Amino acid sequence: MENLPFYQSHGSEIELFERAWRNNLPLLIKGPTGCGKTRFVAHMAAKLCLPLHTVACHDDLTAVDLVGRHLIVDGQTVWSDGPLTRAVREGGICYLDEVVEARKDTTVVLHPLADDRRILPIDRTGEILAAPPSFMLVVSYNPGYQNFLKGMKPSTRQRFISLAFDFPSATQEVAILIGETGIDEMLAKRLVSIANAFRALKDHDLEEVASTRLLVYAAMLIKDGCEPTLACRAALVETLTDDPETAVALREVIDATFGL
Amino acid sequence: MEEYVGELWHKLVTRVADKQHAEAAVSLDEMSKTAAIFFRALGGDAGLNLSAAPSTRHGARRGWRDRLATTGERIELCWRDGETLRLPEKIDIFTERSLNRDLYLWLVALLAANVDDSLPWIVRNQKATQVTLERFPGLVARYRRLINALLPLRPLPTSLPAAEAAQEAVIRQALIQPGSIHVLPPSKKQFQPVVLWTHPSPPMSANNKVSTSDGEPEREQSEDKNGVKSRKKHAAERTDMPDGKDGFLMMFRAESLFSWTEYINVNRPQDEEDDVESAALAAEDMDTMTIARDGETSVAKLRFDLDLPPAGEDDAPLGEGIPLPEWDYKKQIMQPDYCRLQELVSQQAEPCELPAQLRRTARRLRSQFQALAPTRTWLKRQQDGEEIDLDAWVLQEADLLSGKHSDSRGMYRAQVNQQRDLACLLLADLSLSTDAYASDHARVIDVIRDSLYLFSEALSATGDRFAMYGFSSLKRGNVRFNRLKSFDDRYDGLARGRIQAIKPGYYTRMGAAIRQASALLAAQPQRQRLLLLLTDGKPNDLDRYEGRYGIEDTRMALHEARQLGLRPFCVTIDREANEYLPHLFGAGGFAVIRKPEDLPKELPLLYAQMTR
Repeated sequence: MENLPFYQSHGSEIELFERAWRNNLPLLIKGPTGCGKTRFVAHMAAKLCLPLHTVACHDDLTAVDLVGRHLIVDGQTVWSDGPLTRAVREGGICYLDEVVEARKDTTVVLHPLADDRRILPIDRTGEILAAPPSFMLVVSYNPGYQNFLKGMKPSTRQRFISLAFDFPSATQEVAILIGETGIDEMLAKRLVSIANAFRALKDHDLEEVASTRLLVYAAMLIKDGCEPTLACRAALVETLTDDPETAVALREVIDATFGL
Repeated sequence: MEEYVGELWHKLVTRVADKQHAEAAVSLDEMSKTAAIFFRALGGDAGLNLSAAPSTRHGARRGWRDRLATTGERIELCWRDGETLRLPEKIDIFTERSLNRDLYLWLVALLAANVDDSLPWIVRNQKATQVTLERFPGLVARYRRLINALLPLRPLPTSLPAAEAAQEAVIRQALIQPGSIHVLPPSKKQFQPVVLWTHPSPPMSANNKVSTSDGEPEREQSEDKNGVKSRKKHAAERTDMPDGKDGFLMMFRAESLFSWTEYINVNRPQDEEDDVESAALAAEDMDTMTIARDGETSVAKLRFDLDLPPAGEDDAPLGEGIPLPEWDYKKQIMQPDYCRLQELVSQQAEPCELPAQLRRTARRLRSQFQALAPTRTWLKRQQDGEEIDLDAWVLQEADLLSGKHSDSRGMYRAQVNQQRDLACLLLADLSLSTDAYASDHARVIDVIRDSLYLFSEALSATGDRFAMYGFSSLKRGNVRFNRLKSFDDRYDGLARGRIQAIKPGYYTRMGAAIRQASALLAAQPQRQRLLLLLTDGKPNDLDRYEGRYGIEDTRMALHEARQLGLRPFCVTIDREANEYLPHLFGAGGFAVIRKPEDLPKELPLLYAQMTR
């Protein structure tokens, strides 16, 4: 248990996760980037002592990539399991990160696994795998991305119970920064105040806002001895915008917090 | 000679008296974007516009040099009302440029602070200062620098008569130690304006002080109830602050009557003409012009309505007209059936071919866009893929068996899948402002027409479903929605004829048009639906549909569109669009085309990028 990844709970999500796992329910986690979705899953896997199979979904990911394929080895065809099949065989948590990024037909293979059948039919080999009780399917996605050609099919969505994540409250975020990096509270508070100022610019001047992850990065730089305004510029301003004028304004906000 | 000497004298004394530092000046133009984002980041209302504050008379004691030169009696201070954030057009108070810049940012931070507006001016400003410095400790040092630079520029209390000296001492104290002063002692003479604080009595609220607390005057109400008299008063009040940018009211004295014809900016009066009948009545007269003169204030107000063309010449209406709601942001309510939208189709349109000058571009676009058409193909001999490429494998095995050298080629097949399941509705602004010239030889409407042509050419090559409509409006009873091509129409000669027949007219009631377009688009079965808005300016109409009201209604209509699962996107040629489009469409939801003549070429490319 000493290797439990740090995770600051902000509600009843830990309890819900455990209940879902006990009852063999698949889970969907949605929330903006860098708010702790992946960390939460890693934390829960460690807590429940389950192996974690993570698949970062990308737009070329197909059902075959998840399930497996035939390979040619020494003039023979050999079946090779994909990560999803492996997770079903071994039990444990299969975590599909950013699942909407995958091609639309991909998510359909999840359907028989995600309802009460809990099976994975592999049509190429004719095998039908039944998931052991320890198997749990967790998917995550970021509803903020205006990915126009992508979205999740309602038929897929309705097989999951859903947890909505958002950026933590100011006090929790301060606790996270201290817990992650060990910076002092004053500094953590200032970083969080900057982040919240930037978050007010969402949908208006910034497409994506400062995530907790970026704040942790900034805090790490400062902890390492980096000058605070410089650290914030590198970790926050330049990461969030390419527009020079917006960057100037964001820097002003940082100077207004740390400035001389 | 007399004149010459006078001029010399003027130059001399103004130079002596001029306390400003032109070389260190910072202008609002260079600061506007930074200031706006800074304001929002510090928690300011994102719906506010940024605009230059008109200078106001401060009535404070001036030095003998100033009195001699009649300068220094006006000053630009900042304030905020329900629609606008007003900042000085330039700041050149300090000798150092960085201080002048800091003052801008300080004022923005001060205005972003949420302080009870009903507090007395001096308390309010101290409170705002305290709140701001507490939230943003990095500003403390900056504030100190500003105070240190400002205090030497203010009159010394010892140099003033007793009452004014007491006031000045109190103000100094309040600046140095915010929160320490609770009342401003009275004095006959106005105190020296405090540039670090907000305007003590912003011009807009000056006349309404009795009825409303501060900030935004209840314009519409007072006008509706009190009728002509109060309207005139209002007009007189507005003369104090001729608004350079928005220019919705035109003030002139009788002798300048002849110049009105040159005035392109269409007048948008303040009064509410809500009933549909008055709009219909207006349609009977051509170019009505009402001039109201007010003897007392020698200010007159010019209005002219644009009238609907006689029924015979107008586009043919389709159906009865559709009632649509409108959002009132002040009351925060949706007003049901508030607008009537009429779908029209041009009668004069005759089938035609693509204009000759566009054919080359169209051909190129077509071939480019055909690549986007849906295909589903298997690629052979891939290093990686879903299936084994049996042919390749057999060939390789055969090569090996026969002893031939075989380079290991890919033995898998991969499927390339380009599904396009999308519908697009293009909504073009056909208001009168598109009659303006966009470049030396083309009006905005011509640019829009070319864009529509090329857009249709490109989309018909991809096979995506698309529709095109144009819109304009004349008050809420006449929202005109011109059908150019519906989803079910083919893109043919007739559709081209309708595009050819578009003409500019009337105003821009965006909300209603967007609602109707959303409804049409939402009825499409495609999974991805794009609502593309092509415009040249802000929403506005002849009644109160302008400024924040129009913006907020449009915003609400776009919000509804998103709720319906549509994706709105705006393409504009309005260079000032950065001020209000982020509020409506979000940071990634619009594109500003700097050179309008590029629009026809840019539009299809934008579409391709968006849907790739």
